[in-house]
Amino acid sequence: MIPACALAALPRGEAFRLDTVEPPIAVFHTDDGELYAVDDTCTHQDASLADGWLEGCEVECPLHASRFDLRTGEVDAPPAKLPVRTHGVVVEDGTVYVVPSDLPPNLPPGARARTA
Amino acid sequence: MTTSSLPQSLITTLPGGHYTDENVFALEQARVFESMWTCVVRAADLAKPGAFKTVQVGRESVLVTRARDNSIRAFLNVCRHRGARIRTEESGEVKRAFQCPYHAWTYDLEGKLIAAPNLTKMPDIDRVEYGLVNVHVREWLGYVWVNLSDEPVPFEEEVQGQIVERLGDLGSIENYDIPNLGLARRTVYDVKSNWKLIVENFMECYHCATIHPELTEVIPEFAEGLATQLSVGHGAEFGEDVEGFTVDGSAGADRIDGVSEDQDRRYYGLTVRPLMFVNLVPDHVILHRMFPLAVDRTIVECDWLFRKDVVDSGRDLDSSIELFHRVNVQDFEACERTQLGMGSRAYAKGGVLVPSEHHIGAFHEWVLDRLGTSLA
Repeated sequence: MIPACALAALPRGEAFRLDTVEPPIAVFHTDDGELYAVDDTCTHQDASLADGWLEGCEVECPLHASRFDLRTGEVDAPPAKLPVRTHGVVVEDGTVYVVPSDLPPNLPPGARARTA
Repeated sequence: MTTSSLPQSLITTLPGGHYTDENVFALEQARVFESMWTCVVRAADLAKPGAFKTVQVGRESVLVTRARDNSIRAFLNVCRHRGARIRTEESGEVKRAFQCPYHAWTYDLEGKLIAAPNLTKMPDIDRVEYGLVNVHVREWLGYVWVNLSDEPVPFEEEVQGQIVERLGDLGSIENYDIPNLGLARRTVYDVKSNWKLIVENFMECYHCATIHPELTEVIPEFAEGLATQLSVGHGAEFGEDVEGFTVDGSAGADRIDGVSEDQDRRYYGLTVRPLMFVNLVPDHVILHRMFPLAVDRTIVECDWLFRKDVVDSGRDLDSSIELFHRVNVQDFEACERTQLGMGSRAYAKGGVLVPSEHHIGAFHEWVLDRLGTSLA
């Protein structure tokens, strides 16, 4: 379990980019108050999903408008083809923790080379 | 020709080269259009966040948009990465960001760089420093002015000062409630003429009786050839039997509420240097914005604004609009005809201004002063 940020520092509608892990993880706080964590890197091209747009339970990549379902990581809109990996989120004593997935990430070509 | 050789009635114009020389135009782009407040967009045309317009200001394309907080922003329309033009259309709407179509550098509506391929691998790139270049913006009278200089002269001094100089105060123009009027018509004229000829033409009425028969019927004093702009606060009175500012003198639309009794049945014309004219009549406002594209080509956008309820009612405003549309066509034909003579050796040293045009000499001095040149 990795501490990400204080819950108070992550208002609804915002995202936190946890870059102390490789690959980085994005934690989203939806307008409905849910917390989700997925790999921060879009599976299509190296871009930060935390910099993207959160709408409901979806995030849209700021570069090419691929959309991912934060609950499952599945692609809702192309050009991305592969899902983003999802992670567990736990809140304890006002701190948001990420429980990283054991599965291999789906990273885009550039990012893959660097993190291999 | 020296001025001493001229009859007392006459003063000289600028030499013809000032209307044909690319170098003079380049200097005007830098020292006039890119250094002053220019009125570029009607604020209501940017209806909601993400709506944008691109306008030419001097040598620059400027992207004018409305940010999330509804404030109006303007940027140089150039990607900070490799210089590609961000948007090439005249107007449009983005959902939440401006993205360069070349490498997908992406900027939010405040101009900040928010995404780019591999940007997270380059944490040393400051997203504000590498955001779109901001341009000074001011909203007034329902229009947006931009100023491309680093340290603009205060808007109050440069723009509002000219209104006060002409009308005596700002209240006189605010009476027309321009921000709350509705747009009934916009006509864009592509005029094959130097911008200064269009300004000079607007400043004098020596031509009125010759080329503006309809206007002179409505405002008989224009036949005297004197510009309304000569005395502070003067509005030219409608003819006795004229009911409204229309092409045939028939009744116009409902009067704008704030217009005072003194302002009723009068026409006020204002030149707001460098590139704007405002025409005030009791029931509508006609506003010209100029975009000089070349030494011999100027785009003029003309808006006809009436009370919103008048516009929304769908009533026929053609007779009102037709009057100044004809004036525009008549004026711009004259400017194009004049442009043809600017390169002639007959005009190499310029022409002359008669007494009712002498105030145009002050405009010429103003231009030369801005350019840092003189005709010594």
